[in-house]
Amino acid sequence: MSFWEYLGDRRELLVFETWQHASMVFQTVLAALVIGVAAGIAVHRSERLATLATGAAGVAFTVPSLALLGLLITPLGLGVAPSVTALTLYSLLPIVRNTVVGLTGVDRTLVEAARGIGMTRAAVLLRIELPLAWPVILTGVRVATQLAMGVGAIAAYVSGPGLGEQIFSGLARLGGANALNMTLAGTLGIVLLALLFDGCFVVVGRLTTPRGIRD
Amino acid sequence: MSAPAAPRPAPAAPGAGPPGEPAGAPRAPVGRSWRAFAAPAGVLVAGAAWMLYVENSGLDAIERRSLAPHYVWEKTWEHVQLTAVSTLAVLAVALPLGILLSRAWARPGTPIVLAVADIGQSAPTIGVVVLLAVAFGIGFWTTVVALVAYGVLPALRNTMVGLQQVDPALTDAGRGIGMSPAAVLARVELPLASPVILAGIRTTLVLMVGTASIASFVSSGGLGDLITTGVTTQRTPVLLTGCVLIALLALLVDWLGGTAARLLAPKGL
Repeated sequence: MSFWEYLGDRRELLVFETWQHASMVFQTVLAALVIGVAAGIAVHRSERLATLATGAAGVAFTVPSLALLGLLITPLGLGVAPSVTALTLYSLLPIVRNTVVGLTGVDRTLVEAARGIGMTRAAVLLRIELPLAWPVILTGVRVATQLAMGVGAIAAYVSGPGLGEQIFSGLARLGGANALNMTLAGTLGIVLLALLFDGCFVVVGRLTTPRGIRD
Repeated sequence: MSAPAAPRPAPAAPGAGPPGEPAGAPRAPVGRSWRAFAAPAGVLVAGAAWMLYVENSGLDAIERRSLAPHYVWEKTWEHVQLTAVSTLAVLAVALPLGILLSRAWARPGTPIVLAVADIGQSAPTIGVVVLLAVAFGIGFWTTVVALVAYGVLPALRNTMVGLQQVDPALTDAGRGIGMSPAAVLARVELPLASPVILAGIRTTLVLMVGTASIASFVSSGGLGDLITTGVTTQRTPVLLTGCVLIALLALLVDWLGGTAARLLAPKGL
């Protein structure tokens, strides 16, 4: 069976798995964005806490995805729960890091000027600091999405949802019929999804970056 | 008011810079003070402590077989081999290619190469490993090829970016005092680009340790074997040992990369 025949034959399954993969990545990155930005805001004012947070994110980053997924089987079992947890944890790392870096990179004189004209702390955060840090945070979200795409493929090993299923089915049938088709479908599907998401980020970045700091 | 003085690592590349280096940390102690070796010693002690704990925690027959010290040691050694061989291969490919692509005549092609590299990077590792296994059969070298295909991109990117950010005034000055292009490359550009290049190598090393755990899916050994054995036989201690040892190895290698980056970076930067 040629690759195109395979795609036609399994169209429904492939569309479903692609949708699952996209939806899993989208939801986990969204959750990581909320948690990560909140954590970044919480720690960025104290230099010690900020260093600790970026350091911890760096250390956690060295833990391989397979090891993390394996570790999560013990408390969470197989399936969606460990996959979503692992993806969220991985996505958190670049987002927290970039939130802290973005917020500490905001020019202090701007913050003081805003305080000087009578803005409250919350207003300064919402109207000065976060908009200025947004491009850096968005870069972090973009990296997180790419990461989640790849880790999502390995999540199929712990029976997670998505296109990784195709890759592992191909692996199980190594040397047999359709092994190449399955692996290729899974891999190319994820590459296409990653490019699609990346394209969305360019658009989102254009639309959400404040006019004054657009390049 | 204290200005945030320390230049932060580039936010676009997680893990590309020294993670959380305290601002203004002294750089001198490496190699002179015991403190530089506290982190790796801690990692080794943690590994030994874990093995002692797990070996004495009432294992059943299957667990004892998978966790026999010589077997665990063999798997660790396989993992180190995979990591080392693929990192060396990555360097052999990425450094010359990066230098070539950063020459003036090749600069128009740079965005294209980086775009292709980005697309390649978005391919899931497990997919690439399995595709290669389907194409070339399983084994050590298939895995190395997959690891290299995956690891070349960040190293290549950092080499190119590092060389490109060198101030053109400095290379011009080098040419102006009569240095040949090769001498400018060797004595001006590469030393100035070395922090970024070394950061890329460090990222590659850590990436390789993590990715090598996938080798077990295509029967190339390594500590991933402990994880897959643990999952298929439902033996948590085996699974946990694999995870803990890979994570510790990654930390150790990260420390190694960081120390190498500090020792090899030219003074005065």
